[in-house]
Amino acid sequence: MKKTVDVSIPIGPMHPCWKEPIRLKCETIGERVLRTEVELGYMKKGIERIMRGRPWQEVMFLAERICGICSVIHNMVFIEAMEGISGIAVPPRAAYLRVVVNELDRMESHILANFSYCYTIEHETLAMYLLNVREIVLDQLERITGSRINTAYMIPGGVRFDITEEDAAALLAGLARVEEDVERYTRMFATSYLIALRSRGVGTMTREKAIEAHAVGPTGRASNVPECDLRLQHPTYQKLGFTPVCRTEGDNFARNMVRFDEVMQSISLIRQCIGQLPEGPIRGGGACTAGEITYQGEAPRGELTYYIKSDEYGRIIDITVRTPSIMNIEACTHHMINDVTSVADVTSTFISSDPCVACTER
Amino acid sequence: MSESIIWYLREFLRTEWIRKFLLAKTDPLVTPPYFKDYPTLTGKECTACYQCMMICPAPGAIAVLRHDDGWRPEIYPGHCIRCGLCVEACPEDVLQSGRVLEAQHRDRTGFRATFHLSIDREICMRCGNCCISCPVGREGEPDGAVLKIEKGGVQILNSDLCTGCKTCEVNCPNRGIRVARVVEGVQEAAA
Ligand code: SF4
Ligand code: SF4
Repeated sequence: MKKTVDVSIPIGPMHPCWKEPIRLKCETIGERVLRTEVELGYMKKGIERIMRGRPWQEVMFLAERICGICSVIHNMVFIEAMEGISGIAVPPRAAYLRVVVNELDRMESHILANFSYCYTIEHETLAMYLLNVREIVLDQLERITGSRINTAYMIPGGVRFDITEEDAAALLAGLARVEEDVERYTRMFATSYLIALRSRGVGTMTREKAIEAHAVGPTGRASNVPECDLRLQHPTYQKLGFTPVCRTEGDNFARNMVRFDEVMQSISLIRQCIGQLPEGPIRGGGACTAGEITYQGEAPRGELTYYIKSDEYGRIIDITVRTPSIMNIEACTHHMINDVTSVADVTSTFISSDPCVACTER
Repeated sequence: MSESIIWYLREFLRTEWIRKFLLAKTDPLVTPPYFKDYPTLTGKECTACYQCMMICPAPGAIAVLRHDDGWRPEIYPGHCIRCGLCVEACPEDVLQSGRVLEAQHRDRTGFRATFHLSIDREICMRCGNCCISCPVGREGEPDGAVLKIEKGGVQILNSDLCTGCKTCEVNCPNRGIRVARVVEGVQEAAA
């Protein structure tokens, strides 16, 4: 029998590059990695089961805890789904504040994703720089909402706290610092030879493959699929004239550059929101009722879907969450890690698609 | 290669970098005033209305207990997730955390809630834990209670007295009694 594979190398579930437990099985010939297979199931939390029978004020906190990095979008999509079920209108000021907090969360998530990529390719200087700048973003989140990660900012019919003049000024000042730093780091990333050697042309996924694998979020947009950005369908973003960032290369470099560019885009979206912030109330009231809905939103990692069924008092009867990372993990193992030159490129390619195992397994 | 070295030299010879390298200090470990910490007591008088327990999303995080000098809510830090909802729900400003109370007074925000009790007769085993644990109407006349074991089962006597504190739900070994809490976030119009 002809031997096709030399060794099958497992990476993970515990690995210095992985933030969360997941296992990749790489089939190698010499240094080359022909195929990989992903093995999930190390951290199932069963959150959807815990959510059943509870009202929104409890589920909202459970939803946030699905993912520690992109917690705000889980809160936002869940609350907007409940609003959709119950026909609750959101005051315009609250809608704009939601975008502000959501974009701050996207910034910190993207910066963290790029940090882990730089860390994986052993560019620790840039990695630490990025973590440093993420701290400024988290400070702004804390200033508006009172917490850094699990903010619990949105409630049906509005948001919890208004933003004062001083807070808005401090937020804009913080954003100016972030903008200056991220611009420099983007230049560092784009012009560095070491990073180019490890990133350009590695793990390339074409537009056709991306569509076939349903790649979502920055991973899809790096492969020239701009229509996968669901912010295009969100009414507040439509009012802000949002256009997605998109690149054509589809390699590790493009995926990170898309995230860097989206950080800059988020900064300008927040500035726009603060500039146009309408006066008025931040809560409109409205009780949750019975109904059924499927609602989608754009998480930092891509399309996030909630299917919710509730009873007459707004308690959850049935809930299913579909998170973006599962699509990206599959797209990554099938279409990016195909005949890559070394095992080291497997880890960096995998991290470049920003996998979040916590939300994949919930 | 040489370009790369020049690049790194340029990066590390920036005045800002050198200044930071020589003078960098860890940020002082201060908690900013806007951080939502565990709720603390303001010293105002608690009326034992149980709104804080009603809204708390974390199991076992808050309990309103009677002391010699009156009622007081107690926060259990291991369970509390620092959401600040109890601060917003309390009508008497007994609790406070970060800037939540301040923001609430400024924006005139609050919660409005209605409660609906339901008993699943099939899984209720008539142990009476709910009736014993219910904190409402303990000292009034015997008819002032919300729940009572009567005619071989739990009867809801005064559902309008229910404060939604969900003590019965927590104490039921079978999840036979459920308190639906329909909460709305409301804001009074600016004066
Ligand atoms: S802060 Fe939140 S979790 Fe903590 S006691 Fe109050 S309502 Fe419960
Ligand atoms: S909501 Fe306030 S007044 Fe009512 S029981 Fe809780 S602490 Fe006491």
